[in-house]
Amino acid sequence: MDEDSDSLRAETSDPAGNKQAIAGIVPLAPAQLCLRCPPEQFQFDTTDQLEDLDATLGQARAIGAIDFGIGIRSKGYNLFAMGPAGTGRHAIVRQHLERQARSLAPPPDWCYVFDFLAPHKPHALKFPAGQAVSFAQKMERLVEDLRAAIAAAFETDEYRTRREEIEREFGERQEKAIGEISEQAKAKGISLLHTPTGFAFAPTRNDKVISPDEWSALPENEQQQFESLISSLQETLAHVIHEMPKWRREALGKVRELNRQMTRTAVNSLIDDLKAEYRDQPQVQGYLVSVQEDVIDRAELFQHAKDAESAMSFGMALPQPESGESPFRRYAVNVLIDNSHATGATIVYEDNPSHDALTGRIEHIAQMGALVTDFMLIKAGALHRANGGYLVLDALKVLTQPFAWEALKRALRSGEIRTQSLGQELSIISTQSLEPEPIPLDIKVVLVGERPVYYLLHAYDPEFADLFKVAADFEEDMPRRPESALTYARAVATFARREKLRPLDRTGVARVIDQLSRHTGDAQKLSTSTRNFADLLRESDYWAGKAGHAVISEQDVRRAIEVQISRSDLLKQRVQDHILRGDLLIDTAGARAGQINGLAVAQLGGFLFGMPQRITARTRLGNGGVIDIERESELGGPIHSKGVLILSGFLAGRYAANKPLSLSASLVFEQSYGGVEGDSASSAELYALLSALADAPIRQSLAVTGSVNQHGDVQAIGAVNEKIEGFYDVCRAGGLTGEQGVLIPASNVKNLMLREDVVESVAEGKFAIYPVRSVDEGIAVLTGQPAGKIHALVEQRLSDYADRALAFHLGAARKPWRAVPWKK
Amino acid sequence: MEKIEIRRIVFTFDARRSRAGMLEALAGLAEQTQAELIGLFIEDVDLLRLAALPIAREIGYSSAARREFDLARMQRSLDALADHLRRLCEATLGDTAVPWSFRVARGSRAEHLLSAASEGHTPTLLVPAGTDPRASPVVVSLSELTEENSRELLESPQRPILILP
Repeated sequence: MDEDSDSLRAETSDPAGNKQAIAGIVPLAPAQLCLRCPPEQFQFDTTDQLEDLDATLGQARAIGAIDFGIGIRSKGYNLFAMGPAGTGRHAIVRQHLERQARSLAPPPDWCYVFDFLAPHKPHALKFPAGQAVSFAQKMERLVEDLRAAIAAAFETDEYRTRREEIEREFGERQEKAIGEISEQAKAKGISLLHTPTGFAFAPTRNDKVISPDEWSALPENEQQQFESLISSLQETLAHVIHEMPKWRREALGKVRELNRQMTRTAVNSLIDDLKAEYRDQPQVQGYLVSVQEDVIDRAELFQHAKDAESAMSFGMALPQPESGESPFRRYAVNVLIDNSHATGATIVYEDNPSHDALTGRIEHIAQMGALVTDFMLIKAGALHRANGGYLVLDALKVLTQPFAWEALKRALRSGEIRTQSLGQELSIISTQSLEPEPIPLDIKVVLVGERPVYYLLHAYDPEFADLFKVAADFEEDMPRRPESALTYARAVATFARREKLRPLDRTGVARVIDQLSRHTGDAQKLSTSTRNFADLLRESDYWAGKAGHAVISEQDVRRAIEVQISRSDLLKQRVQDHILRGDLLIDTAGARAGQINGLAVAQLGGFLFGMPQRITARTRLGNGGVIDIERESELGGPIHSKGVLILSGFLAGRYAANKPLSLSASLVFEQSYGGVEGDSASSAELYALLSALADAPIRQSLAVTGSVNQHGDVQAIGAVNEKIEGFYDVCRAGGLTGEQGVLIPASNVKNLMLREDVVESVAEGKFAIYPVRSVDEGIAVLTGQPAGKIHALVEQRLSDYADRALAFHLGAARKPWRAVPWKK
Repeated sequence: MEKIEIRRIVFTFDARRSRAGMLEALAGLAEQTQAELIGLFIEDVDLLRLAALPIAREIGYSSAARREFDLARMQRSLDALADHLRRLCEATLGDTAVPWSFRVARGSRAEHLLSAASEGHTPTLLVPAGTDPRASPVVVSLSELTEENSRELLESPQRPILILP
């Protein structure tokens, strides 16, 4: 090691404990490692002194889109509220919908009634909000009144006498016809007899049927004459018998007409009253007219309804109604939607958006082993309930329910709700079913889902863009500005009051703000995740209660954070244990060429943690490739492979512009068995490669994170806090030496929100964070040698490789050409 | 006007007429008058004689279908009908306090009805098949009745006949 390097490595702490620069790279000061919210900036003692905050923090864009989507009534302007779970999408959407819904009139009620002309196509009736139930009750009363009035009409002397006349007329007509035949027969010496099952003609003598002996004694021609006469009479009688059903029909027709006459007066007066009540609703009036006609046509049902047996007329059973036990069920009203209690437009959240739950269903009942249904068994779906208002659905749930998405789109496209069972729609069930009249749909649908769902639908469903024109994009974070701290404090106060939690003092609020900034992984942002926010406040309240505190203070919030972490960091502890026991080889002291501590991050069950990972590089003469062992073994992801390929670009551009790059190098994440993805280790890999080529040892007390481009610029990476803390924890467990630290991209400094213990260690000079902008800066810090020197060594090594490769090729070229004699 | 107390009600069945409601009406009348009910099914001798002839045929009441029949079949039909009527009487009158009996006879209707009416030497209401028992009766004295005029009365039965001893 030369003097330059010695001078570079002679880093010391200043009297304040701050590290001094290495190779011009000044380690970050403690204040740069975490942007704390100063409690003293707040004027309040506890959040009880703060006013409620009506606005939602950090979601101005989404709220603007929601307000626009809710306000515009044009077709297709349905909403898709997208964003990560926990950002309060549902709550914010509901809150804004409720505000808008209050200003709107309650939507109409809807009923299904029997269609007398097409019983399998129930008729939909619309009523102003709250009037459907009263209409159903009025129809119920009407039927009761009709029963009484019609029964009374049938019990009048006029009716009884007229009916008896008709029945007697029919009887006499039969008797007369038979009697005439009997007389004709008698005149010819033949008697008409009644057998148990019919009529018979018998030859008589002296008014008595002739005996077999007398018959035998008759001359043959006389017998034949009798037979001929009887045959002729039988013909005539058969003709009369054939006529009888027609006479019965005529008589029934007369009775029916009589019934109509008797019923009409009673029915008209009752139904006309009801029609007058609904004079402004032509649809309802039309229905009442059809009820009127049907009641008059089926007056017998009212006459005989009280009898247990079927109504009989002329010895024949009258037809029974198609549905249900009661013959009056056809006049019932199925109130599908009753908005009598609605104070504004309805908001429906359907948690289980299946096909039937959306479009409604038609139930069946078992009757004599068969499944039957009628209009009373039509049940409303979420689209019915939300009609005239708003329907909120979880996008993923709709998409995972069979045919639900198609049904929703069909309803929105056609502007009507068509209730049809799935089995019927797919033609796989052939039980008796209905085709209810579609109900016009006036609705605003709000789908709530993650961003990928929105983008996938947009890409793959051509109808989606037409039906969901408004996207409300919920952000997971918001800018952190000093002036927004008080607003955030009011949000904390509002939540604490609403959830009946203890108030927070100013230190508690400040700690909450710090933690929510930490959630974003950026000191200049605050998390808008209502889930994290709510969980932290509820758990802080719990710990404050356990400690007997009346007010939630910083220590309660800190306890909540610590316990949250301890509940989830078992795996992190296991990794650390393996490192400390030497199972996972990580050095935190000494120096070694071609070996470096990279930093990886893992996320398990929502818990993110960092850990060091040894990366090694080996080089040799070759044909110019950097072999990524992770990729070769199919453990590396595409982004990681890209990062490694960039290294080849850097090497070729920096060192082999005029010579072939005659290098073969291999890179590996040691003891990594679960796959590697991302390019945040590419700078570490390059340092390892350069170290191996220059044979310059790298300080193992340092760890590195950051990606690199082909020019050698170090670029920002994610989860910088977790990565630093992961290495810090390993170092601390093994004992902090003061030599240890982490190299991070300079562009990540703004993201730092490190734990207090890390900041304290830095302040005490026991740990250091080096922001680097380029590979040159990084290699100098890691090797303790000037970058120029390292580059020279690398260039020399690569030049040597190139020369050797050339010599190798020339040697091969100089070999004499020898002809091989041809042998037969 | 002297009040006549009916002591016996003789009613007949025939092979054809509907019997729906008739028994109930008779039971009501018998309870009201405290009379005895006598059901009489007369196997028409003319039918049996016809059945013995080679030209015996019937036409169904409802179907108008022509069927041949003989004596054995006719007898079975009449027996079955008599059983059915007996069961009907048991079912309808069995649970009432009305004393009742059911008889099967063969021969002339007029002859058997007159015979049954004259048995008790008391006012007897004769209700031929198909007659409304609640209709006002035709009142005749037993001594005035001959087989000839009683046949006339029975052949066009619109009203019951009250036979006084």
